[in-house]
Amino acid sequence: MITEPLLESSFLRKLDRLSILTKRAMAGDIQGERRSPRRGSSVEFADFRPYASGDDIRQIDWNLYARAERFYLKLFVAEEELNVHLLVDTSASMDWGEPNKLHYAKRLAGAYGYIALSNLDRVSVSAFGAGPHPQSMASVRGKRGAFPLFGFLQRLTPGKGGDLAKTCRTYAQTARTPGPLLLCSDLLDPGWKDALGALSSRRFEVTVMHILAPQEIAPELDGDFKLVDVEGGEPVEISADIGLIQRYREGLDAWREEIESFCNGRGMNYLAVDTSVPVDEFVLSQMRKRGVLR
Amino acid sequence: MSLISPLALLGAAIIGPIIVAMYLLKLRREERPVSSTFLWRKMVRDVEANAPWQKLRRSLLLLLQLLLLLLLVLALARPFFQTQGISGRNLIIILDHSASMGADDEPPSRLEAAKAKAVQLIDQLPDGGQATIIAAGGTMQVPVASTSDRRELRQAISAIQLDNGGGSDLSQPLTLASALAAREEDSEIAIISDGNVRIPSDTRVPARVSYFPIGRASENVAVSAISLQPGQNSQTLFVQVTNYGVSAAARRLDIYLDGAIFNAYNLSLDPDPTHGQSIVAEIPPQVRVVEARLDGQDALAADDRAFAVSTLGDALTVRLISQGNRFLETGLALLPGVQVTKPISGTSTFTETATQIPVTIIDGSAPATLPPGNLLFIGPIRSTDYFSVTGEIEFPSLRSISGDDPLLRNVSLSEVSVLKAARIVPGSWARVVVDSDGAPILAVGERDGRRIAVLAFDLHNSDLPLQVAFPLLLSNLMSYLAPGSGAEASQLLPGQPLALQVDASITEVRVTRPDGAVSSSRDGGVQMRDGQAIYADTDPLGVYTLEELRDGEIQATHRYAVNLFDQQESTIAPQRDLTVPQTSGAQSTTTRQRDGRQEIWRWLALAALIVLVVEWLVYQRNGLAYLRQRWRQRRAG
Repeated sequence: MITEPLLESSFLRKLDRLSILTKRAMAGDIQGERRSPRRGSSVEFADFRPYASGDDIRQIDWNLYARAERFYLKLFVAEEELNVHLLVDTSASMDWGEPNKLHYAKRLAGAYGYIALSNLDRVSVSAFGAGPHPQSMASVRGKRGAFPLFGFLQRLTPGKGGDLAKTCRTYAQTARTPGPLLLCSDLLDPGWKDALGALSSRRFEVTVMHILAPQEIAPELDGDFKLVDVEGGEPVEISADIGLIQRYREGLDAWREEIESFCNGRGMNYLAVDTSVPVDEFVLSQMRKRGVLR
Repeated sequence: MSLISPLALLGAAIIGPIIVAMYLLKLRREERPVSSTFLWRKMVRDVEANAPWQKLRRSLLLLLQLLLLLLLVLALARPFFQTQGISGRNLIIILDHSASMGADDEPPSRLEAAKAKAVQLIDQLPDGGQATIIAAGGTMQVPVASTSDRRELRQAISAIQLDNGGGSDLSQPLTLASALAAREEDSEIAIISDGNVRIPSDTRVPARVSYFPIGRASENVAVSAISLQPGQNSQTLFVQVTNYGVSAAARRLDIYLDGAIFNAYNLSLDPDPTHGQSIVAEIPPQVRVVEARLDGQDALAADDRAFAVSTLGDALTVRLISQGNRFLETGLALLPGVQVTKPISGTSTFTETATQIPVTIIDGSAPATLPPGNLLFIGPIRSTDYFSVTGEIEFPSLRSISGDDPLLRNVSLSEVSVLKAARIVPGSWARVVVDSDGAPILAVGERDGRRIAVLAFDLHNSDLPLQVAFPLLLSNLMSYLAPGSGAEASQLLPGQPLALQVDASITEVRVTRPDGAVSSSRDGGVQMRDGQAIYADTDPLGVYTLEELRDGEIQATHRYAVNLFDQQESTIAPQRDLTVPQTSGAQSTTTRQRDGRQEIWRWLALAALIVLVVEWLVYQRNGLAYLRQRWRQRRAG
């Protein structure tokens, strides 16, 4: 079956020029192109340290010994890879809206992952929504990893929906190396606060992509309706009129502001996403503007 | 309040549950899948904090629909209040518009109150009912007949105006109303009047008659007579003031001569409609117009003023062709303003025109050629162009044909004995006033543009000249033969046409009305026919000035006073009941409180319409809110 590519090649070429911006240096597993908090072997001087027995004598700065008559080691900044985590919410509520939120989330995750891969970082993807355990893909590195990454994303199917907080907690506990984390979700879950709190408990650098469809931002309802939750939540009966819609929008704005202030308080990036905005435009302008990409 | 068709209320019992059932069905809402009800739940929690209002709001449409149903069903059930009024389907309104309806005790006037009452009765007409309006009193008018167009009826009622002349005789309107009522089932006649009307006792009205009295006040003082008699070198003014009310009154009478005050008399008047208080005054001869004006106010203002015009110098010239008749000469000399000329006996050529000598009395044998102007033949001997003499009647017994002929006013012929009279055969022009066993004794009529009177016996052959009847008969005959002359003729009743003999050389006759408006024979306001100028529109009270013009120059000026001297109109005390014989046997015409039905379904239907609009607005409130928002935005930016 030939499916439409997740991201167009022209868009990918534009993504090649971007890289992921992190607020602080993060440690990776193997050598890469990113400044690591560790000392290692790069050309960039970091610090001096008194020699202790067992240190590599090749790192002793002899010039300093000549002056101080003591042994000092000359330390360099290590350059390592980043471990980029992509979390995609595939709960039933995401498979809704026009344009579809889940598809949008996949494309967004794909774009972000591709940027990481093109900078020789390691990308791991997890999708949660089907059950208590997230669907995961073995981490990939380098541009060659783009194919399995896109393939995995395209194969993702929406699940019934689950406990967002629980899955996030599990993920945060089991992830081996923290790194930049992109959460693509609509957060339409009573436990969104716990979920975000769980992610902030480890040293991930979380970017929350709060994806909402235009039909959720400005519902076009007029009359008496029984609203049925696609995830099986409690149905709600409303008599929609312009006043009710107005109040709904006010409630939505207040909720978004609440999430944003929660995220700001924990050093997370919060981006409200409207799926009516094309993905490439969003990635190339909004995400750069907000300091997620460079 | 009662209902005409209470079965309509069953409609509510049937349709009401249907509306409620539909509403309950509507409550099963359309299902709409959403990504999550998480946000909605949160909001609905806030909404339910003020749940009672919300519930009410939700069922507002239902309440409005039920209210609409209730109003419509009530309107269909046709509730009505019982009011004083009418119940028939064919209504004939006799609306009195005589002078007494001008009294202002029911502000602005009784006529307006009567019109309002008539409109109210029209409103009470059942659907499909029809009405006829008859304006009675004065000249009878029927502005609309048998129509169910309420707008037309209202317009006709509002167009009715006060008519000073003609009195308040209801016999003609009642006859017409009876004829109209007999044609239709369920007819009713409503008389709206102050009750000072003459009602014939011989009619039987074939319908129910309701009388709606108008008016409260009964106090009224009137100038009941005014006269200006010419004398030798002065004029004598005679004014009578009568209190037609029920209590004594003190009023001041002002006399104006040609607009300037002359004298004032303080009068205390006892309530007595038959005996007024009289004032006699000598007036300088040059005075043309006298106005008597009662100072102060009473309910009817029209009879507080009266006018008299001087007839001094307007002497009537009468040509007397006689072999010598002392009785006739004495009788003519007694008549005020009559001047007698006697042509040389045997003359048969007359040079004077009919204007100069309007009347010729031919006593005995007639000349070969008859003079121009009106003619009075007394005891003719030979036939003339207008009648033939065929013989003699011995001892005729005089009998008047009609009881109230104006020629025989105040004249009693029962005492008159006649020795012999000429048996005359008048032409078809003649109207016999007095006859004797079929032979005419006194005949009058018009022929060839002149008025002719024939008295069949010679005065010497009867005792008529020795009786009171003679000068009176002579005076009446003179009034008939010379209309528009003399003191009597200058006084007109409202609506009475103003007639004057004019010369053929007169090219225009102009009449100036009391309000200053001018009518002329040129524009058709004054009619000129057979040497007579006739002006009929004399309803407004006051002084009318008639000018005869020849080629734009005034030749003669005559004045006429139109006064409301009518005891019936001046007696304004409203009657509580009218006695009108009806075929049902009833005599009284008072209405009972429960006769009329004031239906209110129109108001209910109007309320239902308003509720319908409100219901629609409530249903469309989203759109309205949207429009308001747009408007605010536009105003803000």
